[in-house]
Amino acid sequence: MEEYTREPCPWRIVDDCGGAFTMGLIGGGVFQSIKGFRNAPSGINRRLLGSLVAIKQRSPIIAGNFAVWGGMFSTIDCALIHARKKEDPWNSIISGAATGGILAARNGLPAMAGSAFIGGVLLALIEGVGILFTRLSAEQFQPQLPPMEDPSQLGQKPPPDYQY
Amino acid sequence: MSSLNENDDANSQNNSYGSAGGGLTGQFKPFASPYLNFDPGYIPQAQPEFIFLDGGSKQRGRFELAFGQIGGSCMIGAGLGGVSGFYNGLKAATLAGQAGKLRRTQLLNHVMKNGSATANTFGSVAVIYSAFGVFLSWARGTDDDLNTITAATATGLLYKSTAGLKRCGMGGAIGLGASVLYALWNNKDRLSDLGHYNPAQR
Repeated sequence: MEEYTREPCPWRIVDDCGGAFTMGLIGGGVFQSIKGFRNAPSGINRRLLGSLVAIKQRSPIIAGNFAVWGGMFSTIDCALIHARKKEDPWNSIISGAATGGILAARNGLPAMAGSAFIGGVLLALIEGVGILFTRLSAEQFQPQLPPMEDPSQLGQKPPPDYQY
Repeated sequence: MSSLNENDDANSQNNSYGSAGGGLTGQFKPFASPYLNFDPGYIPQAQPEFIFLDGGSKQRGRFELAFGQIGGSCMIGAGLGGVSGFYNGLKAATLAGQAGKLRRTQLLNHVMKNGSATANTFGSVAVIYSAFGVFLSWARGTDDDLNTITAATATGLLYKSTAGLKRCGMGGAIGLGASVLYALWNNKDRLSDLGHYNPAQR
């Protein structure tokens, strides 16, 4: 994968929006193909057709919802980075909760609270798993120091041009 | 104490050594830091330095750009759809004689529905195009205008593939036309050179 760095902040919104849209389109396509296949009338031809129609009709909508989530999340993340002057897991958790809350704003206050809670917990889980993996993979990079000898006993003077 | 004296000695020597080594290039004193074991004067300061991996291409690949392109087209689609939805909603609400809260809600509905529909369309087209482009550049090993044109034509054909042969062909033609225009615009420097023969070249 060439994609191992993230874009700097304003462009990260566009990037995350696109990534979420792609994820939603592919995931929604798989999900809707199964759903359309199962819900269609019997006959393999009709089932395949139902699958295709379901993919065509429903998966862009799912992708759009994903894209809105990703874009809103990234926007709040960037705003938090700017306001708090640091990037840490709390940024992601806060922006996940805020995104869940804002996107459920039309459904009333209890729905907003529930959505915000779910969003925060989801992002906390993701960040926690990320930190866990970093810890686990960092084990093998522990430096193993060779036994060092004190250079002063070798009788060498430091070079005369040291300037700090 | 002896170590302190040594230190003093080193400092007093430093000046003469520095001037002797001052024949090197650069406005920095040579070996200004114990961590810098080369003369900074050798670093060229006039032109920027880019570090490329061996064998890597010198531009960003299709996959790196894909998510940005998809997200960008999604957002552009949302903007365009929102504006056209606002216009249509204004017309419809005025025609129906709606006012006040009802008018506001109808306008919001038009903007949201039209915006999301256009955003979904644009985004889906961008995803298909990016998939074709990434696949082509992976399969052919290069990334050029032929990839762009092929990917755009295939996208148009695929997106309208369920709407009948005629509309499928229309989609392909639109993709082909847009990508050819883009390729021409992208190569306009080379095209303007092509028009008049320049004997000084080559």
